[in-house]
Amino acid sequence: MKVIVVGLGEVGLHVARTLSAERHSVTVLEKDPVRAESLQSELDALVVLGNGASPRFLKEQGAAEADLVVAVTASDESNVITALAAHQLGAGKTVARVRDPDYFGEDEGFSRDTLGIDFVIHPERATAEDLAEAIMLPGAVHVEYFGNGRVAVAECVVGTRSPLIGKALHERRAALPHQIVGLIRDTRIVAAEPGLRPRAGDHVIVAADREDIGSVVAHIAGHTRQVRDVVIFGGGRIGLPLARRLEAEGRFSITVMESQLERAREVAEVLRRATVLHEEGIGKDALLAHGVDQAGAFVAAAGDDRANLLAALNAKQLGAGLSLAVVSREEYTPLVDALHIDAGFSPRLVTAEAILRVVRGDNVEAIHLLLGGGELTDVTVDAGCRADGKSVRSAESIATTRVAAIVRRDRVLFPTDGETVQAGDRVITFNARRGTNAIAAAFDA
Amino acid sequence: MIGRGGRVGPGFNWGLILPVVSGVLGSLALGMVVCALHAIAHDDGTRDSFLLPAAVLLPLSALGFLVARRTRTVPLRARDGFLAVTLAWLAAAAAGSAPFLLEGTLPRLVDGLFESMAGFTTTGSTLVDVDAAPESILLWRSLSQWLGGVGIVVLVVAIAPAAGLATQRIFHVETSGVTAERLTPRIADTAKIICSIYGGLTLVGFLAFWTAGMGPFDAINHILATISSGGFSTRGASIGAFDSVAVELVAMVFMVASGINFAFYWRALRGGPLWPQAAEVRAFLLILLGSTATVTASLLLADHPGGFGGGLRSAAFAVVSVGSGTGYLTDDFDQFNDYARAHLLLLMFIGGCAGSTSGGIKVVRAMLLSKTVGQELTRQLRPRAVQVLRTRGKVFSEEVRRAVLGFTVIYFLVAVAGTFAMLVAGLDLLSAATSASACLALLGTGLGEVGATENFQAIPEGAKVVLMFLMLAGRLEVLTVLVLLTPAFWRRNVA
Repeated sequence: MKVIVVGLGEVGLHVARTLSAERHSVTVLEKDPVRAESLQSELDALVVLGNGASPRFLKEQGAAEADLVVAVTASDESNVITALAAHQLGAGKTVARVRDPDYFGEDEGFSRDTLGIDFVIHPERATAEDLAEAIMLPGAVHVEYFGNGRVAVAECVVGTRSPLIGKALHERRAALPHQIVGLIRDTRIVAAEPGLRPRAGDHVIVAADREDIGSVVAHIAGHTRQVRDVVIFGGGRIGLPLARRLEAEGRFSITVMESQLERAREVAEVLRRATVLHEEGIGKDALLAHGVDQAGAFVAAAGDDRANLLAALNAKQLGAGLSLAVVSREEYTPLVDALHIDAGFSPRLVTAEAILRVVRGDNVEAIHLLLGGGELTDVTVDAGCRADGKSVRSAESIATTRVAAIVRRDRVLFPTDGETVQAGDRVITFNARRGTNAIAAAFDA
Repeated sequence: MIGRGGRVGPGFNWGLILPVVSGVLGSLALGMVVCALHAIAHDDGTRDSFLLPAAVLLPLSALGFLVARRTRTVPLRARDGFLAVTLAWLAAAAAGSAPFLLEGTLPRLVDGLFESMAGFTTTGSTLVDVDAAPESILLWRSLSQWLGGVGIVVLVVAIAPAAGLATQRIFHVETSGVTAERLTPRIADTAKIICSIYGGLTLVGFLAFWTAGMGPFDAINHILATISSGGFSTRGASIGAFDSVAVELVAMVFMVASGINFAFYWRALRGGPLWPQAAEVRAFLLILLGSTATVTASLLLADHPGGFGGGLRSAAFAVVSVGSGTGYLTDDFDQFNDYARAHLLLLMFIGGCAGSTSGGIKVVRAMLLSKTVGQELTRQLRPRAVQVLRTRGKVFSEEVRRAVLGFTVIYFLVAVAGTFAMLVAGLDLLSAATSASACLALLGTGLGEVGATENFQAIPEGAKVVLMFLMLAGRLEVLTVLVLLTPAFWRRNVA
């Protein structure tokens, strides 16, 4: 597939890297000569110096023949112009990062028709949404919904009182249907095997019916403590939408710490009930002064990864119930587990998810990438594909993946090995490694 | 001293100031012609008291426009707006006193000016023996309140947009509120909208009073003085003279209407987005309802002779009359118990909504003040908390908070200074404090010697001048007038 990526920021770099890893032909357009020069050697992609918002330049670079144009510069306006121009030139699909909701509102059809953008991505807002869902589901650090929202897949922490501890997975008894598909221990992600014995502190990836996920996660975590007090460190592009989202929920007591006074005031103007503090410190004293030790959840969502990691570490050590950190840059990712922070969240993954969904084919409905590697994929089974009519076990071996759940008409199945995969099924799969085309090969006709 | 570029005095822009004053004098002349027509129709012998001043004012007004046209315009400055509006109001009060003086209703100059000022500023304190005065004089009193209610300058801007007025500099000097507001891109259009709403309410109110049992003459006078929250009546006993529940209800409805921001009606009619003023209007109505309940309770506890029905009727009318800054009377609230009287004083200080015709510090300022108090207490616990001043749906900047605090302090300082002046003039403490406050808050009815059934006749002349100043200060939201008293205002180099 021929892909043009405009903008070589953290997101653009990650997208280019992900796509070239999946053997797509990637051209990156970047305005800044220093950045273009320094990153050329890191990428198996063509980096061209120039303004990707210029229709003429886009045409010269073959936007008309491109299957996908991804506009992810820092500027909304530039991204919109790129998408408009690419659309006019006849590019296959366009994806643009647009942060300001004024440009598209909530209506995706509007942006498609008026702006020529097939997918509008807002990495920061999507990250805020992920954070909010993790906070609202006690025991989980992450939850994603698949199969039109029927199936929830959650990453949850095995608590010290969890009934799973010390038993092999196949020995456990459960009241509600679910499927444990993977386990994260000491920064390594492994696919679940029946003989695996979870320990306290492991993260378990579990699929369940949307209605049941709360109970299933509570069972695995060994507690059902609802979060009430949330402290958000950083009132920026992620912190503010997160605070708004939680405020709309109505049951949280929210404190936002923001280091810049002017921004703190903007945040205070938007939020109705939350307490907004102008606080520069991220040390334990500052956090303690604002009751972080009593908080049910602490979210470090400032613009600086290092500050986030330090704040989340301090909060965890002070005794915050759940300590989450936003980590934008790839190189800091391993620190999340090393510092025993409950979970890391990255806006660049959200972008990559949207783009992979486009390049992996039409029957891929959703993709979720785990921060430490590994991915969840939601695909529709085509009639006559290689997996059609096969047992789940053979489908898994064809696709080199693990089936977490199947949505068949209105029913959610957690298949045993004897189950067969049928055309029209929505299959939610888990893969401990990232970057495979085998799934499309298995389920595409 | 004649300055360069056609400026006289310390560099004022007479090309701006003259048309404003001339326009106001012209409108007054038209009002006098209306009264003269009434005098002619009823042949009550007061015709000349109106035609004479009108005959002077009309050419004077035309002359003012002519001179202004020949004056070279210089860049507009804020202080020109302050001076223009204050002069316009002084000119209106001066010219408006002519009929009282000529007719002999009030033979003394200070009394005539006092009555006129109380009219235009919609304060409603009166020196006239209402039951004995000729009808045309009563009509002139009511008309002066109506002209002053919406703002005489606003009226001129609406009627004569082509008169060369620098509207953006003068419009907001006269209208009250914490933030400047325009309904339309052009101020002249905003003024037209406000005046149309004002006129529409007047018409509806006239029909309502008439239906409620007033004669046409009483109805027109009372609606003119009600919708402007003025409070002049055609009867010495005010609304109480009609002794009719229907009349009282109509009066209450339109007194409440006069206390609401006119921009709010426009937004309500257009069904626009969440009205920024909705929170203030809601608070205003809640204050009136809550006050009615507590004052009624206090009257009943003090064994009001009318029982529950009579107590409620007296209390509700007094609350609405004082809360809207009108000052109509049914039951003499000076005879209420101390709690009720103090509660009414509080209502007087709060007044109606910003942008309405009523006085006081305005409901929105009271809201923001009470919020500030709460936030200051919170700040003691969480010194690093960033606190935002807001009402439902609207965020106010810190400058607004500072302005509201400053305004309120100055407002009460002026009230205290006025009280001292009245004490020096020989009034007792209660009368001094309430007369000064009632004139500043444009209510016009105090307690004690200046209570509801008394009038201001007994007050010494010097004290009347002080009260006139307070009325003007209250009508122009204090700062406009006070800034004229600062030496810096009169320096050339002030922007």
